[in-house]
Amino acid sequence: MSDSIAVTPAPRRAHAKPPGARRAKPVNAHKRREARTAYLFLAPWFLGLLVITVGPILASLYLSFTDFNMLETAKWIGLDNYAKMFTEDTRFLTSLKVTTIYVVVSVPLQLAFALGLALALDRGLRGLSFYRSIYYLPSLLGGSVAIAILWRKLFGSDGLVNALLDVFGIQGAGWVSDPNTALGTLILLHVWTFGAPMVIFLAGLRQIPQSYYEAAQVDGAGKLRQFRSITLPLLTPIIFFNLVLEVIKSFQSFTQSFIVSSGTGGPVDSTLFYTLYLYLKGFKSYDMGYAAAMAWVLLLIIAGLTGVNFLASKYWVFYGDTK
Amino acid sequence: MSFSSRTKIWTVALLAATVMTSVGACGGGDKADSGKVELRFSYWGSDSRQKLTEQVIKKFEEKNPTINVEGDFSDFNNYYEKLATKVAANDAPDVMSIEIRGLGEYAGRGALADLAGKVVTTDLDQQALAAGNIDSKQYAIPSGVNAFSMLVNKATIEKAKQKVPDDKSWTWDDWINLAKQISASGGGITGAEYNYNPAWLQIFAAQRGEKLYDGKKLGVSPDTLKAWWGIHQQLIQTKGSPDAAKSSELIAGGVEQSPLGTNTGATGMWWSNQLGGLTKASGQELTLLRMPKVKEATTSGMFLQPSMFYTVAAKSEHPAEAAKFIDFMVNDPDAASILLSDRGLPTNAKVLAAVKDKLPAVDQKTLAFIDEVRSELSPIAAPPKGALQVDDILKRITEEVVFAKTTPDAAAQKFLTEANAAIAG
Repeated sequence: MSDSIAVTPAPRRAHAKPPGARRAKPVNAHKRREARTAYLFLAPWFLGLLVITVGPILASLYLSFTDFNMLETAKWIGLDNYAKMFTEDTRFLTSLKVTTIYVVVSVPLQLAFALGLALALDRGLRGLSFYRSIYYLPSLLGGSVAIAILWRKLFGSDGLVNALLDVFGIQGAGWVSDPNTALGTLILLHVWTFGAPMVIFLAGLRQIPQSYYEAAQVDGAGKLRQFRSITLPLLTPIIFFNLVLEVIKSFQSFTQSFIVSSGTGGPVDSTLFYTLYLYLKGFKSYDMGYAAAMAWVLLLIIAGLTGVNFLASKYWVFYGDTK
Repeated sequence: MSFSSRTKIWTVALLAATVMTSVGACGGGDKADSGKVELRFSYWGSDSRQKLTEQVIKKFEEKNPTINVEGDFSDFNNYYEKLATKVAANDAPDVMSIEIRGLGEYAGRGALADLAGKVVTTDLDQQALAAGNIDSKQYAIPSGVNAFSMLVNKATIEKAKQKVPDDKSWTWDDWINLAKQISASGGGITGAEYNYNPAWLQIFAAQRGEKLYDGKKLGVSPDTLKAWWGIHQQLIQTKGSPDAAKSSELIAGGVEQSPLGTNTGATGMWWSNQLGGLTKASGQELTLLRMPKVKEATTSGMFLQPSMFYTVAAKSEHPAEAAKFIDFMVNDPDAASILLSDRGLPTNAKVLAAVKDKLPAVDQKTLAFIDEVRSELSPIAAPPKGALQVDDILKRITEEVVFAKTTPDAAAQKFLTEANAAIAG
């Protein structure tokens, strides 16, 4: 169908331009017409953007100031939802705490792991692209339901991990069902998805001119020194990029805890991620107004963190050209 | 030229419009306008339930050629999410299946129509029917009933050289002791499995002369909660049940992964309609027993729970036809002979008499059990709105207790505060 649209106008234009006829028409008008046509073609997409993205965003902003249970019409309550979050709702604070621990522990671990492997792979290994794909795979799968279910099975009390520990005579616990270890398994799951930052690190490592290392070698710098003085500084923009991306992503993690805890954030709220609590509020407690307010607070938190990240980057990120 | 470019624009606009409308049509589901009344019926459950329901719908359409019923099916885990979203979008199904904890939510928020006089209810179990009556409006018609009871595997108990208890007189201590002995006898068998089911708490509270819900607030006392958690704690301590972590895994695993279901356990509390699933999963002969009692309790506390309700949306365009469909589901032997006990044991005495012989053996067993304990049963009322949340709160705080993250005293206070707030909210 799109073919016919693209093809038909051309011959028509040829017909519509008999020599001499209205050739004086300004180019502007023609351009305007073309623009109009373009917008018309874009209209479906714009409509989609308005109806599916902008509309709901504005609606959620409005709803965040209301008491809305989905069955009755929304009641305007001003800032009550926001006030309640920080004064009364201890579970909200728990969810913030859980998520913060998750981000603060898992992101650095994941990045360190990714960098380590990138360094190992960067040595001109045979079959590099094969390993790269293999290690990248968890990043594609990590957020999926299937992997979360696998995790639950692996770390269950009759799971593979315990079977392995059993070989060494260690009596394992029910890792995902014990409130002391459940979050740890999720952090491990996040670290396991190191592939995406690793691929970016690899690309970054390739950008560092080999001549720097040669010069350093001539000066007698060892491997560690080379890493500290050449690799790390030149890689800081990449580290920064990965850091920003992963912080944003992990703050919004949902699937892992939803599946591993069977949608409760349990045991004892130990895996109650922010987004999971938001979901529970909206769809289990029918408190859509509150859930909307939580979504906006999440937006502010993430925007704030990213801002802080950018500000702090001045002090440690080294761009080669800003010397 | 201006003519042709205008044509062009119109062509594009028309094309765009065509794309939009065809997308819209897909979303709305292409329905031939046959002049029939279209009803939507939402329900949750397993694949087998879906098949049975499609059959029963076909039967109804045969008898009522002017009505078309479209089944709207999902699994239970996200049933309420989908339903609430539809109701919020003014797109509520005409006939909605709702279970008892959701009933208060929907009735209390004006989403349901009064069915009094629209569905014949004379032959239904009046107690179960009363549970669908809120603020003297008959918002809901029960599809069938279950009882929360103790299921035991007699063979396993006897193999552990223990006696099957006399369920007319046994106490919670007897159960804990029995569980301890069975677990201690080895063989990887666990004596008991506990759960967080509010039905258990309700029965336990009734035996102590309290109600779980007293009108629009919690009726259960802190002492009762502590005693109830005491049973959990004793089971864990004596190894009568698996430890807290293992237990919470088992509870999440449902029928198939439960100790009774995997034939690694001797006793456990379940709804009577789960007898079939557990029997099938374990391949064992299981027996229904009365729940243990608090010492010197005057009542068993047990009750018939309507397994689900049929309701009609307040905004349905075809309330009469919707009511007719419900009438067919609960009063017509033809419907019952297809559904059998899938939605709980039918409570319509006449229907039950007609299909009794067709019921599978486990259902006959359940029926006999319910008949036997019928005179000891307490009436049941629909819990207030917010009850679904109270279930989650109970689960969470019970976990805090069994994982020793808090003291029972603090937990009791916390539970009552949060649960009352959820109901008030």
